Amino acid sequence: MVVVEVLKKSLKKHPEGYVELRYHKRQTFNISVKDGKIDTLNSGAVEGACARVLINGSWGFASSTTLEKEKIDKMLKDAVSLAKSSKPKKKRVAKLASLKPHVDRYETPMKKDPGKAGKEELVSLVIDVDKAVRDFSKTIVSDTVTFNIVDDNLAFISSEGSEIHQRIVRCFGSVTVVAREKGNIASAYESIGEQSGLEVLEKTPLMNVGLTAAERASKLVSAKVAPAGYHQVILENRIVGLLAHEAVGHCAEADLVFGGSFLANKIGEKVASEKVTLVDDGVFPNGFGTMKYDDEGVPTQKTVIIEKGVCKSFLHSRETAQHFGVNPTGNARAWNFEFDPIIRMRNTYIEAGDYTLEELAEDIKEGFFLKGGLSGQADFNGEFMFGTQEAIRIKNGEFAESMRGVTISGNAFEVLKNVDAIGKDFIMRVGLCGKEQINYVGMGGASLRTKVLIGGAK
Amino acid sequence: MSLLNFAELAVKTCQELGADETEAFIQNQQIVEVVLERAEIQNERFKTQSGIGIRVIKDKKLGFAFASKLSKESIEETCKEAISLAKVSVPNPEWVSLPSKERLPKTPEGIFDPEIANISGDKMLNLVINAYDAAKGYDKRVDIDDGKFSAILNEIAVANSHGVEAQEKTTRIEGYLVCVAKEHGETSSMAYEYDISTILKEFLPEKIGRSAAEKALSSLHPKTVESFTGKVILDSDPASFILFYPVISSVNADNVQRGRSLWAGKIGEKVAASKLTVFDDGLMPKGVGSLNFDFEGVPRQKTPIITRGKLEGFIHNSFTANKEGRKSTGNAYRESYNMLPMVAASNFVIKAGKKRLDELIAEVDKGIIVRRFSGNVRPESGEFSGIAKQASYIENGQIKHALGETMISGNAFQALKNIIDIGCEIRPTEIRAYTPPILVDNIHIISKQ
Repeated sequence: MVVVEVLKKSLKKHPEGYVELRYHKRQTFNISVKDGKIDTLNSGAVEGACARVLINGSWGFASSTTLEKEKIDKMLKDAVSLAKSSKPKKKRVAKLASLKPHVDRYETPMKKDPGKAGKEELVSLVIDVDKAVRDFSKTIVSDTVTFNIVDDNLAFISSEGSEIHQRIVRCFGSVTVVAREKGNIASAYESIGEQSGLEVLEKTPLMNVGLTAAERASKLVSAKVAPAGYHQVILENRIVGLLAHEAVGHCAEADLVFGGSFLANKIGEKVASEKVTLVDDGVFPNGFGTMKYDDEGVPTQKTVIIEKGVCKSFLHSRETAQHFGVNPTGNARAWNFEFDPIIRMRNTYIEAGDYTLEELAEDIKEGFFLKGGLSGQADFNGEFMFGTQEAIRIKNGEFAESMRGVTISGNAFEVLKNVDAIGKDFIMRVGLCGKEQINYVGMGGASLRTKVLIGGAK
Repeated sequence: MSLLNFAELAVKTCQELGADETEAFIQNQQIVEVVLERAEIQNERFKTQSGIGIRVIKDKKLGFAFASKLSKESIEETCKEAISLAKVSVPNPEWVSLPSKERLPKTPEGIFDPEIANISGDKMLNLVINAYDAAKGYDKRVDIDDGKFSAILNEIAVANSHGVEAQEKTTRIEGYLVCVAKEHGETSSMAYEYDISTILKEFLPEKIGRSAAEKALSSLHPKTVESFTGKVILDSDPASFILFYPVISSVNADNVQRGRSLWAGKIGEKVAASKLTVFDDGLMPKGVGSLNFDFEGVPRQKTPIITRGKLEGFIHNSFTANKEGRKSTGNAYRESYNMLPMVAASNFVIKAGKKRLDELIAEVDKGIIVRRFSGNVRPESGEFSGIAKQASYIENGQIKHALGETMISGNAFQALKNIIDIGCEIRPTEIRAYTPPILVDNIHIISKQ
């Protein structure tokens, strides 16, 4: 790659401190059909490079979308001068855990490389889903169906001698449906996606989730909001990843641990029921957050955060690993070349158990089966929340009527302690997480039983 | 070549390649950013980003392509891609036309500050340190967790094949801090404070620091109260998200036309308490969303939305306006050059009331105040539910104690009708809504009790 040669030349001229240069070209293709009409048919590329330098314990960062030699030299100089000029104002001296340099290449394993696919076929697929969704019920007034391909070409070179090239391809789609009836309105949302080629459309057809969303919206349009209170619930497999991510994952990020998150000082301690094994996995096959190397050039790994209820590890960058005296876990990720890497999850999940859905419901006298995720957030005192779309009432072990889902919340400690049964219906899903910068993550798990506070109606 | 020259080149190229209509939008941003992490200054960033988005229409078929590279060759390639996408697309029978050239109003005052445009890395660091010291100096129990401060110079240009051509520069400085307070082994919930301004002089980092610290401290030692339905004071940020995110969604003409708005066909009807007046003002001096033209090159304007509780109008871009044979309200917006214009608020302004926050508190016999909301709002139905953060219990006009593990829920469209009073302290929020604190009745306050 020509750009990488330019970066290498620039790197040679600036031997001061630790330097890493990243190149990133993100090619995207988006289709969106709204109410039977093509709204978006987009294609394009965003390309750029960045320099991050560490001089005497002080970081400096600069990025550029212009990739000529002079601009790259200037970018590196800017980063160096920022590191030096900001040094007197920083109290912390940053140090990195040692790392063996890697020279390697990685590419998302793909059966159907979307780079070679015809666009017409994809357009007609999205149009078909849109039509089926609108035909599902008379109550459906509006829908949006999207399909997206994000093809990332990444290069990482460092003054320690690493040179890593990665091509990461992600395909994902979504369906939003709005239903109306007699002055009531309800919406539903579902998505598919993974890190792979277009074969994702065969494994998890967009049509299926489209119809799930259509069914949910038309069912909920005349439904009431679920009642408020502290209830025993089953979280559907599709939303257990939100629990893993929001309730636990964030609190295991070493930067938040440092600030005093609820997992701070808990390594080796029991923090959850022994049913719970919770993992952040950088190498999960086809995971939305899978990479062979993170954006500091560290090989990723399967990191067990909680094993049978006991806290085992945090998620680290090279800098926090050095601070905590452990090995980096490969969790330093950057959204694109405009950002320096920060500690992020990759694919976070709770391992499956052996219950069926019926068995999970059996012991619930009065509770809810919560389905369909919405956005979530975590506080580092352990309090988390995430939205659900549908709440199916459970009475004496039997599923009853559907109600509108609402936001649920709880304290991670308590909710994990109260997990008393986990299903066998494991799935891995796509997610987008915002923490200073956004990033693609995987979220997974199997349906499980616990207790949460439901922020519902009176 | 100026940005506008590049935009014009793209328009000319696409028209020569056989497009019926073409529009090019270019954005160039220079950002100086300081990131705080793990209680210290972690990094400082210089970023430049630019790119072009090209929209072409051929036989009512739409194609859109973008590129981050601004060069003659790259633009030609992007034009070809846009045209080839239009060819594989399907005609949109509702397509009328890209906007035509109109006289633009005067550039609003105070949207460009050379002091922000030329800010040095050192000056930026000093601003952050001022915020940092203010938070640390406020009380020993306060810790800073993270934060980010950014100074942004934003230059945009838009041109189309009907002769629209516009170019302008704006500036913005914004920053936030997240603080927690720690005492006797207890950690408070995360307290968030921010400021945003188009003028450097009016950006107050010390205030961010003090206020974040004060919020963290005031949420120490929380208690719960028994669940009840009653009065809630929503501070600007939660008021904006809970009440006005559904309003913005419901007056967005695209949602109205697509059956996604409960307010379709309700112009002239009463939708909120008489105290509420709301307008969208794209020309407001010093507004964070102000400019003399929108992101399709259409003149921005002031559009009444709700006047004394009565619904007045919707906001349009050229597509939704053409569908109804009316004029666009100048509300075309793009998150970035690589996205198509959608309908969005410019500066969504809620008219201030007369009372200060402490006077609103004094009005409440039994209720709570919520200063941060961590939850979900369904914009179509107005249903909201989530955790009340930095919340306190109020009795007989006085704050009694911090609240923990407490949720609130309700419906925004009902809540608009249950507004008791509106505060006077307006501030811009994340969704560009200039919002004062608002006292609402009939909200569910939920705890385990």
